Amino acid sequence: MNIGTNVRIGPFEVFEPAPQAAERFPQNGSQVFPGKLFVVEGIDGSGKSTQLSLLHKWLESKGYGVVFSTWNSSPLVKDTTKLGKKKKMLTPATFSLIHATDFADRIERSILPLLKAGAVVLCDRYIYTAFARDVARGMDRQWLRELYGFAMTPTVAFYFRVPLETAIGRLVTARDGFKFYEAGLDLGLSDDSTESFRLFQGRILQEYERMIPEFGLTVIDATLPVEVQQAQVRQIAKIHLDRANELRVRP
Amino acid sequence: MRQTYGKILPGMKLTDLSGKLIVVEGTDGAGRTTQINLLKGWLEERGHAVLESGMTRSPLAGEGIRRAKEGNNLGRVTQSLFYATDFVDRLENEIVPALRAGFVVLTDRYVYSLMARAIVRGMDPAWIRSIYSMALVPDAVIYLRIGVDELIPRVIFSRGFDYWESGMDVFPGQDMYENFRSYQTALLAEFERLSVEFHFETVDGSAEVKTVFTELQKKILRIVESDSRREHFLKPSEELAESLRMKLEESWVARLREMRSRDLQILPRTEHGSSNGNGHRTA
Repeated sequence: MNIGTNVRIGPFEVFEPAPQAAERFPQNGSQVFPGKLFVVEGIDGSGKSTQLSLLHKWLESKGYGVVFSTWNSSPLVKDTTKLGKKKKMLTPATFSLIHATDFADRIERSILPLLKAGAVVLCDRYIYTAFARDVARGMDRQWLRELYGFAMTPTVAFYFRVPLETAIGRLVTARDGFKFYEAGLDLGLSDDSTESFRLFQGRILQEYERMIPEFGLTVIDATLPVEVQQAQVRQIAKIHLDRANELRVRP
Repeated sequence: MRQTYGKILPGMKLTDLSGKLIVVEGTDGAGRTTQINLLKGWLEERGHAVLESGMTRSPLAGEGIRRAKEGNNLGRVTQSLFYATDFVDRLENEIVPALRAGFVVLTDRYVYSLMARAIVRGMDPAWIRSIYSMALVPDAVIYLRIGVDELIPRVIFSRGFDYWESGMDVFPGQDMYENFRSYQTALLAEFERLSVEFHFETVDGSAEVKTVFTELQKKILRIVESDSRREHFLKPSEELAESLRMKLEESWVARLREMRSRDLQILPRTEHGSSNGNGHRTA
């Protein structure tokens, strides 16, 4: 087992796990991958997607071969998830499993081969999203960690930490109403979708807090101005990129 | 009370699952489907309500799995998890409610087949076991054991070699016959291991259909007509009767509603304007 190192960058201390395949899945390759895997995590409205797309722009401008992968996007599984959500057929367990299936397909078909090929892979949400949401739905923590045992450790998992009220404020002004599962309406916490969303996201936030030490998430204060957050993200990403010498460049 | 293999899914109550869960396991072509069809008729004749369940039959994931398999580009982890989704959908929405209603549930394969397939594909045995730790422990697992040599003629004279049953995704590059042999042999070896761990009742699947059926009848009779069950038969539950009445009523209401909506569509449009609702035409 390769033990990560702690790196100090300005005010931050960064834990650097060596990117490696899950130990239990030797077919995923036990070597350390030449590629880099950056993931962003946080509750809805934390601004993580904005930050990731800015990082994407910057990496491209630097000439890196960058590939973007979003949650819930596998062409093989997408239709099943859509069906389940539309018809409200999903229970906490099937919700969890269908998302794990989607994630597995993206790992097997794109993320893993890309990391082996030396690409920089950016993921909008990763296993931590599943851990937070599914635990909020009552699934067993340990079972979930086992379930996602095939996932590789990211180079950096950025966690955009934001108070619940700030996130909700951003979302309520941005759109009207929340979707059924997004608001956790399947849990029957409240009939009002905004109230249900608030309660559900509160639980998710708690889970994220718990995972910071467990997985060494890199915390970014998501109440800071967008530019400041992005500067921090780039600074941290740069350290990891500078160390790598086998990364692909854009043709 | 009913048990699981370790974890309990949220919202799943294990009390009052008075039905019987009977699993028929075996490799492809072992005769599971034939036997289940025979058993279903026989059990119903004896007065048991029977629910049949099998792989990829879930309304949620069945279609998705079939479509994904057509493309032959389903990865190993993805495959295992897609099947797990299908299984849990059926467990929560079919098997458990049926057991609660006192049905005999006959399942064509269960988690053991899914474990064997995943392990043969190189998945960590501990990983796949942990995923299925939320499965209910069945009342019996009947394993139709059959050797590869007996299996091959059955496959040739029925549907021929299939891409997935030949494990083409596991041993690429060889022909389907060779692959079928190696893949099914590996599966059989895995089943042998599982049979000890999960207490399978093994039946010789290479015997005549009738012989196998008689054997299964004997084993199943012991389970469905055990003492506790007979007691249950002697005092019909008020609650059950009530729920059946409700169900009947509901189905009638639904049917009436359907009939009415059909009538409305068929009803010819009158030329004399609309009715005022009392059956009297407005002037």
